[in-house]
Amino acid sequence: MEKTYLAKEIIEKAANMRRDCIEMGFAAGSEGAHFGPALSCVDIVATLFFGVMKHDPKNPEMPDRDRFVLSKGHASLAYYAALIESGYIPKDMISQFKGNNSILCGHPSMNLRYGIEVTTGSLGNGLPVACGLAMAAKVKGESHNVYCIVGDGECNEGIIWEAAFNAAKYNLDNLIAIIDVNGFQLSGVTADVMPMNLDGLWGATGWELFHIEDGNNVEEVLQKLKLIKDTKSGKPKAILAKTVKGKGISFMENNLAFHATPINEEQYKAAIADLENAEKVRKQQ
Amino acid sequence: MNNISLETLKEWSKLGHRSSFGESLVLLAREKKDVVVVSADITTTARLVNFQKEFPDRFFNVGIAEQNMIDFSAGLAKEGLMPFAVTVAAFAPMRCAEQVRSMIGYMNLNARIAGIEAGCRFGPLGNTHYAMDDIAVMRAIPNFTVVCPADPHEILKTVFAAGDHKGPIHIRLTGAPGFPLIYPDDFDFELGKAIEYRPGEDVAIIATGSVLWEAIQAADILEKKGVSVRVIDMHTVKPIDVKMLDSVFSQNQLVVTVEEHNIIGGLGSAVAEYKAGFDKAPKQIMCALSDSFKKIGNYKFQLKENGLLAEDIAEKVERSLKTPMK
Repeated sequence: MEKTYLAKEIIEKAANMRRDCIEMGFAAGSEGAHFGPALSCVDIVATLFFGVMKHDPKNPEMPDRDRFVLSKGHASLAYYAALIESGYIPKDMISQFKGNNSILCGHPSMNLRYGIEVTTGSLGNGLPVACGLAMAAKVKGESHNVYCIVGDGECNEGIIWEAAFNAAKYNLDNLIAIIDVNGFQLSGVTADVMPMNLDGLWGATGWELFHIEDGNNVEEVLQKLKLIKDTKSGKPKAILAKTVKGKGISFMENNLAFHATPINEEQYKAAIADLENAEKVRKQQ
Repeated sequence: MNNISLETLKEWSKLGHRSSFGESLVLLAREKKDVVVVSADITTTARLVNFQKEFPDRFFNVGIAEQNMIDFSAGLAKEGLMPFAVTVAAFAPMRCAEQVRSMIGYMNLNARIAGIEAGCRFGPLGNTHYAMDDIAVMRAIPNFTVVCPADPHEILKTVFAAGDHKGPIHIRLTGAPGFPLIYPDDFDFELGKAIEYRPGEDVAIIATGSVLWEAIQAADILEKKGVSVRVIDMHTVKPIDVKMLDSVFSQNQLVVTVEEHNIIGGLGSAVAEYKAGFDKAPKQIMCALSDSFKKIGNYKFQLKENGLLAEDIAEKVERSLKTPMK
């Protein structure tokens, strides 16, 4: 993207994206949507699309664009919202989320014209594909980065670790994985469903390991990503980013009931009211 | 590329399908810079050492991790490289079927998956290493072309055809070291286009993979008994050559399918599926592996146990010709 956005502007982009998420999810009617897992990573996705990644919505196949892979593909709302706010996907397609014959599938399906880089949704597979993208860049002598968002629950998948060791073996320092640690997965709290020491595990992979204390704080996310994105240590980079599931919608925050569900009109209005209140607060600051 | 020497082909025939394939990859990679190889720690077994030596920057060993091998290959293919993901046929597609479907088939990428030691070849190692279901799995995944070359020369032709093809391909490699050279001379090869190896009027034997040799020998036995046998090399099981099948169904009175694969879901099924749309079509004998886990044994033993040797095929044909159609 030609324009480099400031943190303050990215916060506004993220606010728009949250609204897009709610609009799309509500438009899906009884099909419902994965609100919680999308809202937890909206600020990270917004920061990548508006403050970090090199890309051009007018030229979606620009060879030296940074690649984005949403390994936790069920958070597609956040991805589509970024593509809408960037201009890859026209705003009037919001009503088509999960619709018949729509390109906005519940899980992203590769469509470069609309900025959808890689098909994901079957958990675990995005990261190893991202490794392939990063390896190909090395083979072809290209200098772009590959950014991949992985879920904390997704780390249950064995293939995540197969990919992690492979990336370290091949020195993929053009690969940056951001683990969205929202603490929940489909059937419960991540620590209960499958206790995993993510710090210890990622620390053992041979990657450079970083932390973001508040993954919903655009300033912190931007600062960290800018600091590490172009360093060349010979190691891939993992960032454990602590986030809040359902962030930004009061009744969805840390509420597993809104992992994947339809919302009714009352809930839709309440969600929009939350976003409008947040906007008022931002303007007063 | 077609100038491969007879001496080389004879050597490959002695060494088996693994060396034939590994050396074919080297020849292709010399011509096409985008060709890369990904292996799940099968480098020596799959005879990829020469490729690794000549193209160290285009060779990746992802460890014993077949799912990762497929996804990593998908990423490479997505960026315009042409990965050949190589492992034992018993482990790809079965161990990584979901990755094959979602990340290569669904994205319709130019990745190639090669399974060595398919069919009867890994018999002595037991059923964990016995790939008799891979055609069935791969046929059910949209976008994939499924190819089973019959001899060293056809392996070379397949590899080079794969180099020019758009879309994913599964290459299934069968036959033990010493597998016969069926095509000593240059021949026309096109993915999706069956080869009429020998014309014949009464019976059509359609085979895929190295067991084509047994089909040819069966035809010899039957010819001596006055039965005119057409032999067809259906190297590409998907998309199946329907023009050739149209010809067979209209010209031959008995169809015999021969394959080293479970009787469910392989070449025989593909032929029968197409035949189901005909009002009048010939009877079909399916020579394939029975739907059961197998006793262990070498290649020849497995062929015998499963009725895939030439004399077994010929006997089934004779019996069928004596039995009037219901």
